[in-house]
Amino acid sequence: MRVIIFSWEFPPRRIGQLADYVMDLATQLVKNEVETYVVTCHDYYTGQSEEPEGVKTCRVTNPVRTHSGVLTWVLTLNQEVERAAANIYYDADKRVSLTDVHDWHFIPAAVTLKNAFNLPFIYSVESLEDHRSHNADSSFNMAIKSIEHLGMSEAERIVVKSEWMRDEVVKVFNVPSDKAKVILPDSARWIEGILETYQEVVEGVVE
Amino acid sequence: MNKELTVMMLTWEFPPRIIGGISSHVYHLSRSLVRNGVKVFVVTCDYHGAPPHEVIDGVEVFRVDSYKDPSPDFVTWVYLMNMNMQRKAAALVKKLDEKIDLFHAHDWLVANAGIGLKHVFRRPLLATIHATEVGRNGVQYENEKMIHETEYWLTYEAWRVICCSNFMVSHAKWAFGLPEDKLVMIQNGVDIREYEKNTIPDLSQFRRNFALPEEKIVLFVGRLVYEKGIHVLVDAIPKVLEKVNAKFVIVGNGYMKEHLSGLLDRMGLAHKTFFTGFVDCETLRSLQKSADVCVAPSLFEPFGIVALEAMAAKSPLVVSDTGGLSEIVEHDVTGVKVYPDNTDSLAWGITRVLLDENYANRLKNNAYRKVQENYNWDKISQRTKTVYETVSKERSRTIWT
Repeated sequence: MRVIIFSWEFPPRRIGQLADYVMDLATQLVKNEVETYVVTCHDYYTGQSEEPEGVKTCRVTNPVRTHSGVLTWVLTLNQEVERAAANIYYDADKRVSLTDVHDWHFIPAAVTLKNAFNLPFIYSVESLEDHRSHNADSSFNMAIKSIEHLGMSEAERIVVKSEWMRDEVVKVFNVPSDKAKVILPDSARWIEGILETYQEVVEGVVE
Repeated sequence: MNKELTVMMLTWEFPPRIIGGISSHVYHLSRSLVRNGVKVFVVTCDYHGAPPHEVIDGVEVFRVDSYKDPSPDFVTWVYLMNMNMQRKAAALVKKLDEKIDLFHAHDWLVANAGIGLKHVFRRPLLATIHATEVGRNGVQYENEKMIHETEYWLTYEAWRVICCSNFMVSHAKWAFGLPEDKLVMIQNGVDIREYEKNTIPDLSQFRRNFALPEEKIVLFVGRLVYEKGIHVLVDAIPKVLEKVNAKFVIVGNGYMKEHLSGLLDRMGLAHKTFFTGFVDCETLRSLQKSADVCVAPSLFEPFGIVALEAMAAKSPLVVSDTGGLSEIVEHDVTGVKVYPDNTDSLAWGITRVLLDENYANRLKNNAYRKVQENYNWDKISQRTKTVYETVSKERSRTIWT
């Protein structure tokens, strides 16, 4: 199995706890013989590299330097994420199993790749805009929410880290409850749960 | 033997959605490319009442959801719209078994989608730069900088950059630091046939809606903004009226409108001017055909399509010697060139044309011939096709597969 993970934070770029979670995930996947690529971003530490644990990374930087906020920053960074992912895809003779997208930032890229290559993606939810912004409803927050919504509807599977988050996802975005799967990060069967989900997505896709 | 060249064009406007000049440009270019044997898919924003897919003279037009949820500002909306456009375009290319040779993006408004598609499908991207933020507003504030940097990003990613005048080629070279061999000049065009249709049979009757029979019509068409030099024309009005009885018909809207009409009131010249606002295409063409002289007093002008329109309408033409206008008009042959931002020079040009009918006739006949020969869409699409073929050939020699 060959998997591309998208995350806007990955060591050394740490914003919250997602960076270390994704690092842990990628490392465990490699140990379980999944060929794992992480596409992430960094202002100046860019290009392809390999972590000691065997995780292959590609860090991209924003082609547009001036931004009015995280939204415009994300929306111009996505094309670079697509470029990095497409390079992995073509270098692997188009044999990539899925992308695993952590939070909303690179949902647009995952959606494009899905439509272009029939490449399924999993939306792994760390947090939602409603909670981050305390239900703010400015056009800025609503636009981010609309990208989350796009991810919820286009993803093959949604992975959440608690029962509570599954209920929120079902309530806020009206997704069928069996589309969102709870995989507890601190459980003993965490990585098995992830691998099972990957397997389901790969098998569930009709070419 | 050769497989038909297939291009996917991206544009934020296509008829019936008309916001600026790109809509009509892509409409004419795409249809003409089809006539010259290129398969064209146009992906554009949706418009109320227009179908999501239709075929117009062989051009496959796809209209995508242009993102109608609230967005914080115009630039963010453009990026969000691109997200939707890219998603639909990617699905379409996939459906076509990736039988697309090139992507062609018009202005920064579709930069993200064009760049993303280029990398995902590994097909060359071409960009037409119609205007720049540097030229429009300058780049001082955050949003202007974002637009400028997005324009830069598009030209950086493009295999070739097409500009519509030599002036714009050198402007783009300077504004984005582009190498010479990346730039191609292909001028803009005008469809003469649209001016040959007699949609309004009695032009002299039509003319009376705008001017008295004894008044000559001086026509200005353009946005009423500083860069179009409309204030220079207003200052020239009394100087022209000293010599000729004329009515100044001003078509278009813009932030200077109130100021200018107030000024004309105080000058006691309100009765010699007519602000029509925005008019439909039919009225515009009939006005251009009725005008005794058309003026383009611009201070900054990437191309100057109104000059071509005047030439196609067989109206004599006075332009300021700047930007694309300098290249379109040959002084004393196809029109009169005057000094930019110079009231006396502009008044001189206008009176010269209005007072000498033989001279005016000679200018307009020469101008009409020039438009027929050089600025027709057939010629433009052939040149564009040549660029497509060159890029396709260059692409086939790379290992980018």
